[in-house]
Amino acid sequence: MTATAGLRRAPEIAVSAHRHIDLLTRIVILMVLALLLVFILLPLFWMLKSSFQTNFEVQAIPPVWLPENPSVEPYDLAGQLIPLWRYIANSLYVSTAAAVIAAALSAMAAYVLARFRFPGATLILALILLTQLIPSVTRIFPVYFLIQDMGLLNTFSGMIFAYVGFSIPFAVLLLRGYFQTSCPPELEEAAMMDGCTYFGAFWRVILPVSLPGIAAVTVFTFLNAWNDFLWASLLLSSGEMKTIQVGIGEFATESGVSNYQNAFMAACVISTLPALILFFFVQRWLVGGLTAGAVKT
Amino acid sequence: MSTIRIDNVRKSFGGFEVVHGVSLDIADGEFVILVGPSGCGKSTLLRMIAGLESISSGNVVVDDLVINRLPPRERDIAMVFQSYALYPHMTVRRNMAFSLKLAGAPKGDIDRQVQAAAEILDLVSLLERKPAQLSGGQRQRVAMGRAIVRNPKLFLFDEPLSNLDAKLRVQMRSEIKELHQRLRTTTVYVTHDQVEAMTMADRIVVMNAGRIEQAGTPMDLYEKPASLFVAAFIGSPSMNLIHGRIEDSAFLSDAGARIPLAANAPVTSDPVVLGVRPESLHVGGVGPAFGECRLRVVEPMGSETLLAATLLSGGDGAHGGGENIMILSRVKERYAADTTVRVGADPGEFHFFDATSGRRLE
Repeated sequence: MTATAGLRRAPEIAVSAHRHIDLLTRIVILMVLALLLVFILLPLFWMLKSSFQTNFEVQAIPPVWLPENPSVEPYDLAGQLIPLWRYIANSLYVSTAAAVIAAALSAMAAYVLARFRFPGATLILALILLTQLIPSVTRIFPVYFLIQDMGLLNTFSGMIFAYVGFSIPFAVLLLRGYFQTSCPPELEEAAMMDGCTYFGAFWRVILPVSLPGIAAVTVFTFLNAWNDFLWASLLLSSGEMKTIQVGIGEFATESGVSNYQNAFMAACVISTLPALILFFFVQRWLVGGLTAGAVKT
Repeated sequence: MSTIRIDNVRKSFGGFEVVHGVSLDIADGEFVILVGPSGCGKSTLLRMIAGLESISSGNVVVDDLVINRLPPRERDIAMVFQSYALYPHMTVRRNMAFSLKLAGAPKGDIDRQVQAAAEILDLVSLLERKPAQLSGGQRQRVAMGRAIVRNPKLFLFDEPLSNLDAKLRVQMRSEIKELHQRLRTTTVYVTHDQVEAMTMADRIVVMNAGRIEQAGTPMDLYEKPASLFVAAFIGSPSMNLIHGRIEDSAFLSDAGARIPLAANAPVTSDPVVLGVRPESLHVGGVGPAFGECRLRVVEPMGSETLLAATLLSGGDGAHGGGENIMILSRVKERYAADTTVRVGADPGEFHFFDATSGRRLE
């Protein structure tokens, strides 16, 4: 006789009912997610497949979903119709400079706001938060005239200046949370006991430890600047200085989208590549950087 | 190695004073432990010595030099933190070499000193690992290695063993004590664990509410606690404290138990507290009678047995009592709960405290 003989067994109905509900819920969730995915990815798919089709195929009704004879000709054409690589270089320069400057400035500001208590600190934080609540479109005229008065209209410096200004509040809030939760104050205290100044502790210990958070801020600023159309079209009017997003816009009006839709889509694909490549390399850090400040570990 | 003089040091946060004029002299090579409950100001005092907290008033003097305004990096003091505070992006070697590198020491010297410190702390095989790849005990040893590699004037430890499990804590306790005996560097160590304080310190400083309650050797504090606070804080299990008064060479507890006293017991008509350590009480017929007790809970611990008991009557047999007391028996005997036993005690081992001020009565 085994030790369990004669013992009552708990009913298993409850468990199987749970399993049944779980499966049903899972199917519904999957269907909803699949629909969402289609909704998000369809335009991207349309852009990609059109960039390898002839213009006739792109405009055909009913739609031709896959290129019959995939060709890179639209890419050549895009480069001939607009100075594509020049625009991309402009975008890279402006976005990289804005991202690096914004990350450097916001890291220092966030560190001070995270670590030091001084009169006005709460007010500064409240003002930074306030900037996030004001619609960006309301800043168009003040910022435009400010940049104009500074003589920076139609210069890369003016553009970088604007992007840095727009990015810093969010970056400061993000990094402040990161410093508070992911960099214990004992680290810089240990560094100071070991012989560092405040700045030395920040530079040699806090910055390297905070690289994921700083990477997140840098990528966000870069992507914001890279994807921006509004400010780039307002502040840079010279043909040579256009960024890729504005350049593509010009493409549509100057050459007529109806005639060169495949080349237009090819230009769009090229314009997404740098951001995509960047995101691919830093996505692990990016996700870590965004979530690290959220919970206390 | 250095002497420290803490002279009437105060610390306020906003308008709230948390350290109220603490004065303390620490001799060259001494191992002093600041002990007290959370919020008593011990860590704040340590941080003021380190330079991580400003001093509101008073002076901290190291080797006749007032260091109040010196930044931490100029004090030549090393500190081991509760959370280890190892630099996570550096290997053990780079963690240990960091201070020497900042000081501009030649690479050969750095390598030699790191190797020597690693050998002392048995870290040689771990030098190329990052902190995340180490266990809690290993991290604590690296933190100590980072401190000793500089050969500083003074070591500060801020509850360094709190994050370790019980077994490792005992091991690290011996290692720290051994390290001090080897290096003889003046050390100030903060803990809230009185066992750590008793086992490691040359001198214990008991702090309470921002003030020093008593400073002395572990045995001084154990045998002659200056106040009720120290009496209750030092010793494990803690001292039994019974409120009452002294009358006709006997202690009369508030609940009515009458316990005979020695001839040299203090004479006062004010309310007093009688303190008797659990290990000063003996179950059975040994020594003068303390009273009759009913054993409520028996906790055998192998070499000794902890007994939670209720005093039924005082040593003179008169009825009274009701106070709950602890008895630590080192006699190898099996006790049973819910039995009544005679408890003996040497009145010479009794402690008396003024019930109002809490100060010791002689």
